[in-house]
Amino acid sequence: MAKKRGIPPQKTPQRHPKSPLPINSVEIDNSVEIELRRQTQRIQLFSEVTLKIRQSLQLKDILQTTVTEVQRILNADRVLIYQVFADGTGKAISEAVLPKYPSILDQAFPEEVFPSDYQTLYAQGRVRAIANVYDPAAELADCLVEFVAQFDIQAKLIVPILSAFESQPLWGLLIAHQCGTPRQWVEFELELMQQLADQISIAIAQGVLMENLEDVVATRTAALRRSEEQLRLITNALPVLIAYVDQAQCYRFNNQAYEEWVGLPVDRIFGCSLHKIWGKVSYQQMQAPIQAALAGQTMSYDHEMQLPQGMTRSVNITYVPHWDDAQQGVLGCFEMITDISERKAIERMKDEFISVVSHELRTPLTSIHSALKILASGGLGRLSADGQQVLEIADENTDRLVRLVNNVLDLQRIESGAVTMNPQACNAADLMQKATDEMQAMAQQQGVELVTTPIDLALWVDADYIVQAITNLLSNAIKFSHVGDRVRLTAQLPSEAKASEGKASGDKTSEDKTSGDKTSEGKVSEGKSDQPSQIQFQVCDQGPGIPENKLEQIFERFQQVDSSDARKKGGTGLGLTICRKIIEQHGGKIWAENQLERGSIFSFTLPIVTEQNPPSLGIEVE
Amino acid sequence: MNSTIEYRLTIHRILIIDDEESIQTVVKFGLTLTTPWQVITASSGAEGISKAQLEQPDVILLDVMMPEMDGISTFQELQRQEKTQHIPVIFLTAKAQASEKRLFKDIGVDGVITKPFNAMDLSQQIIGVLAEG
Repeated sequence: MAKKRGIPPQKTPQRHPKSPLPINSVEIDNSVEIELRRQTQRIQLFSEVTLKIRQSLQLKDILQTTVTEVQRILNADRVLIYQVFADGTGKAISEAVLPKYPSILDQAFPEEVFPSDYQTLYAQGRVRAIANVYDPAAELADCLVEFVAQFDIQAKLIVPILSAFESQPLWGLLIAHQCGTPRQWVEFELELMQQLADQISIAIAQGVLMENLEDVVATRTAALRRSEEQLRLITNALPVLIAYVDQAQCYRFNNQAYEEWVGLPVDRIFGCSLHKIWGKVSYQQMQAPIQAALAGQTMSYDHEMQLPQGMTRSVNITYVPHWDDAQQGVLGCFEMITDISERKAIERMKDEFISVVSHELRTPLTSIHSALKILASGGLGRLSADGQQVLEIADENTDRLVRLVNNVLDLQRIESGAVTMNPQACNAADLMQKATDEMQAMAQQQGVELVTTPIDLALWVDADYIVQAITNLLSNAIKFSHVGDRVRLTAQLPSEAKASEGKASGDKTSEDKTSGDKTSEGKVSEGKSDQPSQIQFQVCDQGPGIPENKLEQIFERFQQVDSSDARKKGGTGLGLTICRKIIEQHGGKIWAENQLERGSIFSFTLPIVTEQNPPSLGIEVE
Repeated sequence: MNSTIEYRLTIHRILIIDDEESIQTVVKFGLTLTTPWQVITASSGAEGISKAQLEQPDVILLDVMMPEMDGISTFQELQRQEKTQHIPVIFLTAKAQASEKRLFKDIGVDGVITKPFNAMDLSQQIIGVLAEG
């Protein structure tokens, strides 16, 4: 680059050793043109040198380039850079000298040859062009003349190199020597030296800044390293597999537990893709959730994971997206894998225990229940009034115990995933009618009118479980009704449900509201807007209603509005929990609200068979 | 309704096979008090098969979980025997999972009644289950 811009090589030899720039005055007689040409050449030369100097950020290189270039251009015998130290002493730290002259590199100058008053003058910008050191007009101190004489120096050109620091304004000197003969320095040479000295000043200032910057970088790098060490220490101490994966699904961080699981050291994991580390089969299972996480969604799921060594563990995997500062894009995601094998094993044991206990309770309960019913029937002889009363207590409580055992077992099965819902196409009207038929006797017994408005609509559900859920809601409604009250079972498409929303009052809980909104806008409106994908069932009663703060709570196990309800109404406290589980497993929602005047409404949604909602709807439970 | 009447009329004798003596007893009392049926009891699969061949009951109530020969094996044996294969069999089970019920139906069991049941309502349940087919 510098060579291209530089003076054509053929012109250099024409230059007189002691002249400024080569000017062919024979061919050019116009003095203005000569001057212009000279100026242009000087600018080119200066640019060339400056470019060379700036090619390095290392001060030592810059200084050496400067002295070499100045020596070449000026055709001087020696060019050196003398650095002044804080204590006033100094020495030549860079030098370009013709081979026939001695080097004075690294040589300290005696203090008397460069006293402090000289330094002060140079610090103020003094430059000196001495054509002949022996000329008394040069006014050099004798000791200095004596000092330079030992190096055969006859002419000197000195320009200060100033620093930006007030404490030491003079950084050093740029000096050109002519040995053996005097030399008349020309203005251009002085200018060049001054300009290059300025360049050195800038380079020094930049060097200091660079040094400071490097210090800052070094400090921050150390802090970063410490922070990373701390992070690694903390993450290594955790019994959780932690990793960071970038957008290309390649590992950028992982903790020790991760290494142990995959059986590879960190340097073999870093930069590798998930696919490569986990293999095709495992990767296929994690592909969808990780893609979702890299699209900005937090994902968490339980999974049976096959380790690269062939072992299988139950794990919970969570992917948390890492957003950029502007929250506009996802840079990668954190992966946390928790080994839940023990928890799963305990859960299985608990499920098994509940299952066994419940089953074992059923046979003796059958005997007790039946024996009491036989006695209560009077078929084996009449009891006294007191005896009959005691028997009824035993009978009622056995009924309750039977229901409790049934409900505990139902809930355990649904929660443990032991139940396989068997969805089939069925008619909503049939399910409603079946549930009503089952509850008609109870309604009559309680003096409650049970009114059903069936709707002819194809559903894709497990009929047995839905009938169980409706029956449960009807049973609750009847239990809490007064004699002469009416319990209504209705079903409607969401548009109708929305229109009738005004009939209900009472604040729904937040989840309830969500459910309601989804019913009227969200899920329902999926696909074609005129073809809802869900149906909404309602069981309305005229009972006392539900306190606002219990509207959501009642779906939790053993959370009755009144704890004495179980005794008074014969409930188990599990019915609504089972209902919710059944509805949720069908992809529906269930919620409760109060009616304006009196009574409550239990609503739930279920998927219907549409083009957008084909029978393949995944409600299969493991 | 017709089928209910039909079964009420056609059942004269019923065999209950259950290793739990208390269950045998309450079933016997319950059915005797609520129906004119004759109730025969057996405490094991082997005894049940033998009594079924001999007494030719109209319906067999068969407990699923029994030691030695369980309900399924007993049922399969009853199906193999020419003298008993025509007799409707209803399973009595404490495990009332839908998948199990389906399995029982698949092997040809006529119905399933889940424990705990009420012996005083048992006849209605038997008739209902048989009517459902």
